[in-house]
Amino acid sequence: MISIDHPIIELKGVGKKYHPDILALEKIDLQISKGEFVFLTGPSGSGKSTLLRMLYCAESPTSGTITVDGMDLSSLYRSQIPQLRRKVGVIFQDFKLLYNKTVFENVALSLEVMGLKKSQLEKRVKQVIEGVGLGDKIFRKAVQLSGGEQQRVAIARAVVNRPPIILADEPTGNLDRQRTKEVVTLMNELNARGATIIFATHDETLFQDSHRRLLMLEKGRLKRS
Amino acid sequence: MAFGVILKRAVRDFRQNFVTHLMTTLVVALTCLIFVFFSLFSFNLQHVVERFGRQLAIIVYLKKDVSQERIPTIYQKIAGLAGIESVRFVSSEEAFKRLEQSFKDEKEVLQGVDPLFLPPSFEVQINRAVYHLDRIKEIAAQLSQWPEVDKVQYGREWVDRLEAFSRIVRGAVVASGIILLITAAFVVSNTIKLTVFARQEEIEIMRLVGGTSGFIQGPFLLAAFFQGTVGSSAAILVSFFAYRYVLGMLDYTGLVRSLNLDFLPLEYIALFILASGLFCVVGTAVALRRFLRL
Repeated sequence: MISIDHPIIELKGVGKKYHPDILALEKIDLQISKGEFVFLTGPSGSGKSTLLRMLYCAESPTSGTITVDGMDLSSLYRSQIPQLRRKVGVIFQDFKLLYNKTVFENVALSLEVMGLKKSQLEKRVKQVIEGVGLGDKIFRKAVQLSGGEQQRVAIARAVVNRPPIILADEPTGNLDRQRTKEVVTLMNELNARGATIIFATHDETLFQDSHRRLLMLEKGRLKRS
Repeated sequence: MAFGVILKRAVRDFRQNFVTHLMTTLVVALTCLIFVFFSLFSFNLQHVVERFGRQLAIIVYLKKDVSQERIPTIYQKIAGLAGIESVRFVSSEEAFKRLEQSFKDEKEVLQGVDPLFLPPSFEVQINRAVYHLDRIKEIAAQLSQWPEVDKVQYGREWVDRLEAFSRIVRGAVVASGIILLITAAFVVSNTIKLTVFARQEEIEIMRLVGGTSGFIQGPFLLAAFFQGTVGSSAAILVSFFAYRYVLGMLDYTGLVRSLNLDFLPLEYIALFILASGLFCVVGTAVALRRFLRL
């Protein structure tokens, strides 16, 4: 394991067991430094999503400790979880959009929860939507967009509040080659602006020729870090 | 989280999901309507029973040979008993006059009858606060023991029937109230659950982007309060107009006038509307709990 002085994400001996005796993750030791872009790979059921879900407190580990941007997740109160989630932007394979709402409303949600002023909110949302190339479709309903466009809305929503960490859980799983390329380019741009990114995928072509660090999970164990 | 932000979101949400909110408000209104009708019936029935009870008096007939000088003493003795509201002396002459009045156009029937043939009596009203069948019976029994007293009447049969009827009504009110309350709770909480369930995805996404419980629950709770208060107000209005309509229809019979029916008092209405609002808020909060665990 690579040792990092001030990791933004740190897992120590993390394990996750589901009832009755299903081992999802076992003794995960991992450090990710600020501004790093890492690929997380492994076959289906290897524990990629479980690991990511634990980083934004959708699940808690059965053993070990997790620290995210200085927050010890094991000692976090329920009321503090929103604070953590504002630091972690999450992108899902199934986009998780509100399809009866517009692109603007979907993206604005991340800033609304923070209580941002309307003028600031509008400015920033428009900026980010234009940044992902959807400026001309800002007031279209999400349901009227293509899969690639929907994923870009999901990315815009995840980054609009400028979180220091972005977790992407198979964000290209439902996209064709061209749209996949666009999403990876967007993620690279975000990383270049300083965001720490964990990109979970089982598409080897995405990291084959990449200089990025690769984390490989197999049956709940970290095989390569 | 500022109240203004929550209010704005609630209004926006209300516009976007107008039909759902309207349906929930309608269900609340219908449930409240049943409750209001029921309350109206029980409220008036209770009043009629109370009013009837208040009209009951004990009549103490004195022996004819009781001297006029003894009357003030007996008066004082009766008035001194516990639970007596008022005592009124009715002389033989007054009793005869009342009899005459009751005959109206056929007064001649009483011609030649001695005006003093009726015994003098006391009309005793029982204090409302201590009004109870047992107390009436007790006082009547006590009075009938006095040497000057010939007979004591207190409409015993009526009192007994009234007491039995009151007991049945009270039982029915409590039982129906409980059943209705359970039904109302079930209907309202399920309607709210369906509303929340329909928006489960939205709640999940709000949680994922860092929405606090206040931010997520606020608009739902505000909407629930609105639905509760508007629904119950609508129920009150509908039942008020229905009450007026029925009253107008039955008025010519004179029956309604004699019963002296009333609509629910203002304090009760205010309390009912507020309680309905709070009831919906609590129901929504409980329904939301399981969706906020993610």
